[in-house]
Amino acid sequence: MGFYAIQLECMLATWGILVLLVDVFKPFPNKRTVGYVMAGFVAVALLWSFCIQPVDGVFFYGMVRLDPLALYFKRLFLLALAMVLVMAAEFSPRIESGVVEFYALLMFCATGMLLIASVNDFILLFVSLELVTITFYVLASYLRRQEASLEAGTKYLILGALSSGFTVYGIAYIFGTTGTTNFDKLAEILRTQGGTPSAPFIFGMLLVLTGLGFKIASVPFQIWAPDVYQGAPTPVTAFLAVGSKAAGFALLLRVLYTGLLPVTAFWNTLVMVLAGATLLYGNLGAIPQRNIKRLLGYSSIGHAGYLLMGVAAVNALGAGAVLFYLGQYAFTVLCAFLAIVATTAATGSDEIPSFSGLGKRSPILGLALFLSMMSLAGIPPLSGFFGKFQLFAAVIGRARTDWHYYVLAGIGAAAVVISLYFYLGVGRAIYLQEAEDASPISVSTPMRIALYVCMGAMIGLGIFQRPLVDASITAAKVFGLR
Amino acid sequence: MESLLTIAVLLPLVAAFVAFLFPADKPKNIRALAILATGVSLLLTLYIFSQFDRTQSGYQFVKSIEWLPSWKISLKFGVDGISMTLLLLVGFVSFCGALVSSEVHDREKEYYILFLALTSGISGTFATMDLFFFYFFYELAVIPMYLLIGMWGSLPPGKHGRTKEYATMKLTLYLTAGAVLALIGLLMIYFSSGTTDIERLQHNIWLASNTQMRAFPLLLFGFGFLASMWPFHTWSPLGYAAAPTAASMMHAGVLKKLGAYGIIRLALPLLPEGARHWANLIAILACFNILYAGWAALTQKDWKFVIGYSSVSHMGYVLLGIATLNVVGVTGAVLMMFAHGVMAALTFALIGFFYHQTHNRFVPDLSGLARKIPFIGVCMVMAVMASSGLPGFANFVSEVMVFLGSWQQGSTIFRVATICAVWGIVVTATYLLWAVRASFFGPFDEKWSMLKDAVSFKQKLPYALLLAVLLAVGFWPRLLTDIIKRSVETTIVSRTGPPEPDKPADVVPGNNLVKR
Repeated sequence: MGFYAIQLECMLATWGILVLLVDVFKPFPNKRTVGYVMAGFVAVALLWSFCIQPVDGVFFYGMVRLDPLALYFKRLFLLALAMVLVMAAEFSPRIESGVVEFYALLMFCATGMLLIASVNDFILLFVSLELVTITFYVLASYLRRQEASLEAGTKYLILGALSSGFTVYGIAYIFGTTGTTNFDKLAEILRTQGGTPSAPFIFGMLLVLTGLGFKIASVPFQIWAPDVYQGAPTPVTAFLAVGSKAAGFALLLRVLYTGLLPVTAFWNTLVMVLAGATLLYGNLGAIPQRNIKRLLGYSSIGHAGYLLMGVAAVNALGAGAVLFYLGQYAFTVLCAFLAIVATTAATGSDEIPSFSGLGKRSPILGLALFLSMMSLAGIPPLSGFFGKFQLFAAVIGRARTDWHYYVLAGIGAAAVVISLYFYLGVGRAIYLQEAEDASPISVSTPMRIALYVCMGAMIGLGIFQRPLVDASITAAKVFGLR
Repeated sequence: MESLLTIAVLLPLVAAFVAFLFPADKPKNIRALAILATGVSLLLTLYIFSQFDRTQSGYQFVKSIEWLPSWKISLKFGVDGISMTLLLLVGFVSFCGALVSSEVHDREKEYYILFLALTSGISGTFATMDLFFFYFFYELAVIPMYLLIGMWGSLPPGKHGRTKEYATMKLTLYLTAGAVLALIGLLMIYFSSGTTDIERLQHNIWLASNTQMRAFPLLLFGFGFLASMWPFHTWSPLGYAAAPTAASMMHAGVLKKLGAYGIIRLALPLLPEGARHWANLIAILACFNILYAGWAALTQKDWKFVIGYSSVSHMGYVLLGIATLNVVGVTGAVLMMFAHGVMAALTFALIGFFYHQTHNRFVPDLSGLARKIPFIGVCMVMAVMASSGLPGFANFVSEVMVFLGSWQQGSTIFRVATICAVWGIVVTATYLLWAVRASFFGPFDEKWSMLKDAVSFKQKLPYALLLAVLLAVGFWPRLLTDIIKRSVETTIVSRTGPPEPDKPADVVPGNNLVKR
């Protein structure tokens, strides 16, 4: 019965191992096609996931859940994986050796993310988090002859290992003070204590939040993001931006809104302050950037700030808003990285000036990149607009009882204006500036399909928000917040 | 019948999607589509106007589609006297804007798609009856405006030392900053009332005083950015100067009116106590608008900067009318929005006409143009007369109403403001008459002998149409003032006026609301 809950994880892991084994005994002649086929398979798994019904209860001795929230995130990760595989296939000519291993590592990484969606216990939290992080160490430094890629991998390794250490240390404190690692039991114990936990418990909680803060790239654990985003192979950057970030928020929501909900008073202010600081750091830091991947690294810090606004609100609106935001953010960021991969394949440069005149060189790539920038900035009729609208609504809704939230909303508002400046900087290159080399850029069919899917989702969810809003509200109901 | 309004509003947007599917190498078809869509939309608006029940004050042609039940948001369109007037304005200006866009010869497909999207966004804001969609349509203008100015604009080098990229970025950032401020205010309204239905908010809900006091400045300054309220007006002359003709027409003519419309439609009726509290500040800022921008216009040499500052100055009259909170003043403000919108669009169209041939709009460089382009010259003289408030044009009626309303308001601040505003007319006349005399009359300069006048009906149509509208409303202002007045009375003055003692407020406990 328990395997019903983790069937998608099993599928991905098996497929990853199979591909590896087959490639050892009978190497695939065309590595690019393998990527497209695997993307197709993942898309089928995504469709299959809609046949899986959420189950009320726990599996594997209370470690795993299959509630609507878990399914929401699993679908999100599968979607991201499918798109990233298309991107990886497109990117494969630039990988010297081990293309199939690259695909397989992405599969294993996604397996960890899917597990994270179901986590209901600190032990599984640590195991699945490590599965994701360790594969990312390898993936980030995959272009092993490029200094930037190696630097990215090393940075990620050192800081990641440190934060993992913090997490496991914190888990030990929490287990030591309460005698459990299970989220439900933890909440029960904290409730019986009357919401005033012991000092060692708070210490442990802060250490766990440190580890999660590293995953979502929130201040003050954000330093790695721009360097790693810039240096890592672009598909890996995309997966970091979409998958790893969503996984971090899945864990954050699970830990804060189930296990640690009784002690909200002890982390609420902290999350608020971090949200404000992250918003300002990410958006101000992005202004002088010339490299588009680095810019998106800073932008991803900024978006962690917006999402933390929703987490800090601690209401049903906020939880739903975070989920909606992550859902639409996946399409938006994937669209941006798909366009970047296709463009840099032709121009060979990640610098923003090399995107000049993209609107003329390839209308579809120009449009895709421009729309994703505008969606990131939160301009209607794109999906990012409604995401931000909901997050602001959640914060203002809370501000009626606690005026500090007005300050947070004010910082968020300032961040929106600042972010529009640098996102439009990319837009200016695409449409307002002329290209030095005006030769057209060709776009392969799978790439075209992926781009249309992302653009359709961005515009569609921006105008007809209802399907994703309803899904996110259903998923957010598992927390029972008001 | 009810759907007509929805069709009129969304038709340009649908046309934009259709144009997206057209091949880019046949720009003539796309241009024809754009003219057709805006033209049909104008005809539909005129038809709605003719069927508009002038004895009623409420919303008409209401059509509601449930959109997002979990947020209680519905896509709801409807018009009352105020929005009817402004929809007519959008209809005229967008149709004429599409007509004069023939000067665009680069990437026409993108140009018309953006132009159509912009039109729909603006008319959507005027027609919507839902708080969320109000903001949605309001922000929809951002992307088209940025690209229209950035891609097809031009900014001759001058003392300002700026490029069109700078101008369009500044404009976009200012508008977004204002929009986000307003969003916070709108969300405060949403959370203390629990509804996004503007009609319900206007008639059945009375928000708690402290919410009103706090939300009003957010809405006032938020929308004030777009209404180019002093000191947040600096984006405006620069943006117009850099924009292509049709974009300046749309921006000065209608987009700017969205800001004032936001204040009239939402800030005044929803937050009447806040409005009473902040009215004096609006009046003072309005005086700064009128005089400061008027003086700035006196020193300008570039035609578009002259008109740009002039439009900032004219928005001062609108703001002054809004601040009076009485029937005559607010009605005058709405009529002023209409009259100034048509006049500004006409002036920018005329500037675009000769600038397209001369590539120079620097007043001292131009001289005696009226000899070569008499039609354009005559139109310009009429536009300038309208702008300076000569009787016979709609602008005159609206200015007089604003002055009367402001004087009627009675307090010293408003009396002084009225005097400033009347003085502003003299300033306006000074710089406009100087500009038109210097460039259209006087000795003819041979270097402009290549100029061609508008000769065919098609060329003359946009200018003649806009002038006709100005004269028609000028001679028969009750065409619009009747319907505006009724809506102003029921939605604004009945709420901002002193509370009637015989109707005790009925407090709903725990809900933070007071029903009246």
